[in-house]
Amino acid sequence: MAALKEEEIISLAEDAANFALRKGVSEAEVFVYEGLTTTVAIERGQIAKSSRIIDRGLGIRTVINNAVGFSYTNILENKAAIEETVLKSLKSAKASKPDKDWQGFPPKKPFAHVKNTFDSSICELSSEDLVKTASLMLEAAEKTDKRVFPVEGGIGASYLSRAVVNSNGIVGFDYGTIVECSLATVAQEAGEVTPVCFEFNVERLYKIDPEWVGMEAARQAASALKAKRVETKSMKVIFAHFALQQLLHYTLMDAVKADYVQRNQSALQGKIGEKIASENITVYDDGLLEGGLRTWKFDGEGVPQQKTLIIEKGVLRNFIYDNYAAKKEGKESTGNAFRGGYLSTPNVEATNFHLAPGKKSPEELIGEIDDGLLVYSLQGAHSSNPASGEFSVVATPAWKIVNGKITRAVKGAMLAGNVFDVIKKISALANNERKIGQLVAPWVIVENVKVIGR
Amino acid sequence: MKDTLTKIVNVAVQKFGVEYVEVRAQKLFKSMLTLKEERIEAAKEGIENGAALRVLVNGAWGFASVGSFDTEILENAVSDACKMAKAASLKLKNPIKLVESKGFEDNVLAKPKKDPSKISIEDKIGTTLTLAKTVLRYDNRIKGCTIDYLDLVGTNYFINSEGTYIEQDKLYVWSRILATAKENNVFTFSREEVGSTAGYEVFDVETPEVVGERVAKRAVDQLKAKIPKGGTFPAVLGPNVVGVFVHEAFGHLAEADLTLSGSILMDKLGKKVASDVVTIYDDGTVEGAFGSFKYDDEGIPARKTLLVKNGVVVGLMHNRETAQKFNAEPTGNARAEDFRVEPIIRMRNTFMAPKDNSFEELIEDLKFGYYFKSFRGGQANLDGTFQVGIQEGYEIVKGEVSEPVRNASISGNTLETLHKVDAVGKDFELWPGRCGKGQTAFVCDGGPHIRVREVLVGGGA
Repeated sequence: MAALKEEEIISLAEDAANFALRKGVSEAEVFVYEGLTTTVAIERGQIAKSSRIIDRGLGIRTVINNAVGFSYTNILENKAAIEETVLKSLKSAKASKPDKDWQGFPPKKPFAHVKNTFDSSICELSSEDLVKTASLMLEAAEKTDKRVFPVEGGIGASYLSRAVVNSNGIVGFDYGTIVECSLATVAQEAGEVTPVCFEFNVERLYKIDPEWVGMEAARQAASALKAKRVETKSMKVIFAHFALQQLLHYTLMDAVKADYVQRNQSALQGKIGEKIASENITVYDDGLLEGGLRTWKFDGEGVPQQKTLIIEKGVLRNFIYDNYAAKKEGKESTGNAFRGGYLSTPNVEATNFHLAPGKKSPEELIGEIDDGLLVYSLQGAHSSNPASGEFSVVATPAWKIVNGKITRAVKGAMLAGNVFDVIKKISALANNERKIGQLVAPWVIVENVKVIGR
Repeated sequence: MKDTLTKIVNVAVQKFGVEYVEVRAQKLFKSMLTLKEERIEAAKEGIENGAALRVLVNGAWGFASVGSFDTEILENAVSDACKMAKAASLKLKNPIKLVESKGFEDNVLAKPKKDPSKISIEDKIGTTLTLAKTVLRYDNRIKGCTIDYLDLVGTNYFINSEGTYIEQDKLYVWSRILATAKENNVFTFSREEVGSTAGYEVFDVETPEVVGERVAKRAVDQLKAKIPKGGTFPAVLGPNVVGVFVHEAFGHLAEADLTLSGSILMDKLGKKVASDVVTIYDDGTVEGAFGSFKYDDEGIPARKTLLVKNGVVVGLMHNRETAQKFNAEPTGNARAEDFRVEPIIRMRNTFMAPKDNSFEELIEDLKFGYYFKSFRGGQANLDGTFQVGIQEGYEIVKGEVSEPVRNASISGNTLETLHKVDAVGKDFELWPGRCGKGQTAFVCDGGPHIRVREVLVGGGA
């Protein structure tokens, strides 16, 4: 099934919006999403599965007396089904209660210009191509170390498109591609199993390095063998990309959302202009980042995405807004209304949460530590207290650093602290930034982290 | 529907010569609400119709998913799936085989006392508003309340090339209540979920007022809680924490796909992994429970599966592929979130069986320890490292439950910890939740109160 064309999608959206307006709603907004994905999966050491998933649908928000209704459908070929969906949205709006803070859908503004978000060669990848790429990755892992077992992984190539039409005249269409390869491994020796190690590449353009992913996933697992406990004390900890992403995702990245701030659920409430992080921390929410995983011309409400300064040299400068949260404060949306697809209404989310890198190599970071840990991943970060930033997690896989060198793997070490304290104690950042989910960041050294070893 | 699906199966077998084909069609209708404090963000309804086609060709899987029941589109999708399977088989080392299953036909109807699709949106708004108001009015230190509500009704149609045809109703009612409280610079957070496959009557079992007050009280009580000491301590775990421990720390390792991937249970079948008092089940047949269903997404009847009997591993959770590898009976654990994804091995209702101790007996001998009553998140690793975050915990001092502690978490190695379970209570609770393994599955976890001789407690900063 081929991708829907821009004209087809826009006319679907316009028809639905116009139908809603004819039925007497005061405002209407239609979001259309299409995703075409081909994947090849690795399971337990071999490629044994491939899939083709076509998912498309339409979601419509309608407003009657300042009450919002929403309905969606994935049946697009049939006009009656879409009209029925519009009527459901109307029925929902009528059943809902007026919202005194509702100030309408966003107005029309010129969309942003974005770069490196689409690569036609990704659309042309066949399942045979993907099998070849996946087997390069798998073979690279197997060659690296015999004790390593590739648990799961694979490669996926997607074409995505999205459109927004609203009754304020917004008419937008954007499309892009994403390709991702990943491998999870464990190493086994003498009855010992390592924790799962994970490596990946994800890009908007077809520029991935499956062999590096395979080798690196295997290297991590092999070096996680012979893990020992550590003593309980405070020490320097390097949070590698994945660990940093896990730590920030459930805490700092929520705390900068304007709706969390407005609803008294952010520890950063009232702190604009205050120093909240160490001086070497500068963070942008960059919806225009070249090749960024969340880079689009417009957000889930049709507002142009933008680059917003969040933390400047440790000082909190801005929160991120969707249209609703912005209007509540008499401000403009920062283009942070996120939609997971056609199934949901938008909510405030970071686009590409970009922590500016430092100048040192990762080796130099390790070299600076006399007694500390290198942590690649955290277990249990989602159990952090999202409001206070308090966390209590397990570092796994992790390695001990002594006198500037990695000495051995560590098992069962718990790290406890508060994220808003952690960002004040970041003493160095490496130059090795990469994209991981919404975060774009390098490795960082955090001073004085409480490690509970036994 | 049966005619269309039969036609597709015939095309796959006759035209493409597949070894096996199954088609899962779904008609789903969802109704959702999000409340932020007393504001209804939007009342939401949606329709999802689609089909998943899975074929086995040359020993490799091909999968296709489309949002349509149109015969021509489905024929194209089955052709796609076959192409996918052929490509996947290019580098195959060990062809996939499925354990045998006899064809049969069945029609499973949901019989709710209160059908959520017949309850008006206004009534659902009323229920969630009552929840929100109960939370917000509990105490002026409550600062926020977020409520999500979902009900899903629909029908699953399953057909395969072995002659099985099942029509099975789907019904889920779920709600999540989050509350935050603040005093001075202390933030606390409390969460609870309601979930049922019985019907909207779940809100009569525990009323919105009861649930709302429990969530709010926990958030407020935690304000005066202290930071736990980090280190190794004896602990009594409540049913809610036992459930997530059994699910995360043990259950995932006993999902046969993860066992085969090298989980620490790989060579432990038939061996002692826990103290004598530990017996663990994964049960798909608990009536009305959030993890229950009659047939899984490979058309296999859900069973009550004994995983650990008096400390010995006696079973794993299987799909047809792993059951064949282990030469075991399939257990009905193959679940797919919807037609967009393939079935994978998932838990259902996972619990530790109760024994004979009272709560007082569990705590009376402890000079100092912790009572962990309710969890916030948990995660396990194939090497047996587990972590469970605690949203409600207390110190135990001289045999009595004492002051509350906040933001604790427990960790350890699953097998070491299971050996340290030295007493199991006679009470029993089952709690609804959602489990993530790439896809989301609705489950229950539970058990009685238990005592663990020692567990690593991660303190606060």
